[in-house]
Amino acid sequence: MHEIDCICFTKGPGMGAPLQSVALIARTLSLLFNKPLVGVNHCVGHIEMGREITGAQNPVVLYVSGGNTQVIAYSRQCYRIFGETLDIAVGNCLDRFARIINLSNDPSPGYNIEQEAKKGKRLVSLPYATKGMDVSLSGILSAVEAYTLDKRFHEEGAEDKDLITPQDLCFSLQETVFAMLVEITERAMAHIGSKEVLIVGGVGSNERLQQMMGIMAHERQGQVFATDERFCIDNGIMIAQAGLLSYRMGYETPLAKSTCTQRFRTDEVHVAWRN
Amino acid sequence: MSEDWHSVTLKIPFASEKHALIAKQTIEVDPELQPHAVKRIITVEENVLIAAFSTLTIRLARLVANAFLENVDLVVRTLEQFGEEAENPPSS
Repeated sequence: MHEIDCICFTKGPGMGAPLQSVALIARTLSLLFNKPLVGVNHCVGHIEMGREITGAQNPVVLYVSGGNTQVIAYSRQCYRIFGETLDIAVGNCLDRFARIINLSNDPSPGYNIEQEAKKGKRLVSLPYATKGMDVSLSGILSAVEAYTLDKRFHEEGAEDKDLITPQDLCFSLQETVFAMLVEITERAMAHIGSKEVLIVGGVGSNERLQQMMGIMAHERQGQVFATDERFCIDNGIMIAQAGLLSYRMGYETPLAKSTCTQRFRTDEVHVAWRN
Repeated sequence: MSEDWHSVTLKIPFASEKHALIAKQTIEVDPELQPHAVKRIITVEENVLIAAFSTLTIRLARLVANAFLENVDLVVRTLEQFGEEAENPPSS
């Protein structure tokens, strides 16, 4: 511990109690070993880890997880939010639907939805809710939930043509929300003339999303970068990575300012380590 | 302070004054979530951490005392895990 340079911790965004728990430990260590603290934005952590792992130069970033859904592009020392969800995050939408149809949480609800979706045969009609550069997901969640109360909904598929199975709903939900995300990502790419897409966040490990994004990117002579599961999902090393980048530019968080905040916008960070 | 406020004082001894001060400086950074209903004063006397709370309701007294103790617990466990290493810097 005496040899380390600094202690990086998540300043936000996120849930208050877990954030505060980490901050307390970070502060204690900082005082014990006399090391500076570096507060890090969670979203910037995802972005910097994605850039480091994939080597993408200047991608449009789609950050999709249980808590966040944003399309981000870098410009003049700021990760600017081009588009985002107007209500709930896409991972939240998927996870809550998994609960509605009683899917297991092991290994994760999102993974199980992805597997069930592969067995879906029917695309049911769901609202397609892009709003300019943004998306709205809570209405889609209500709509797909309403199908489970439809008289055509059956747990087990049969040869009957007019049945809707949970697999069909998983498939339809994914296709709809992922198409929306691909659209708003494409808008950002067109806006800034970028040919690279980087997908970060837990939902980024969904292979169907990666595939759909890849089709769009290829049509634009571009490519998609995605990290493997270890780095898509929240992890500590991404905080260390982003923290180190800002520490090297002379950034530190004084003890009195080492509070946490549940709302910390990605574009509030001064990205001093990039031109 | 008006007469009908409730008060709770917690005194926690630490292994040393240094550790008690670390706990004070660590915990006092986060403000109380309801500053109009909870007044908090954290001090250190020798190796003892003292937290004096005044709260508007008895429920709040219970909540702030519990939260404070949970925070102290986290700091203590960190000090326990790393305290010895901190006392022994490598001689280079």
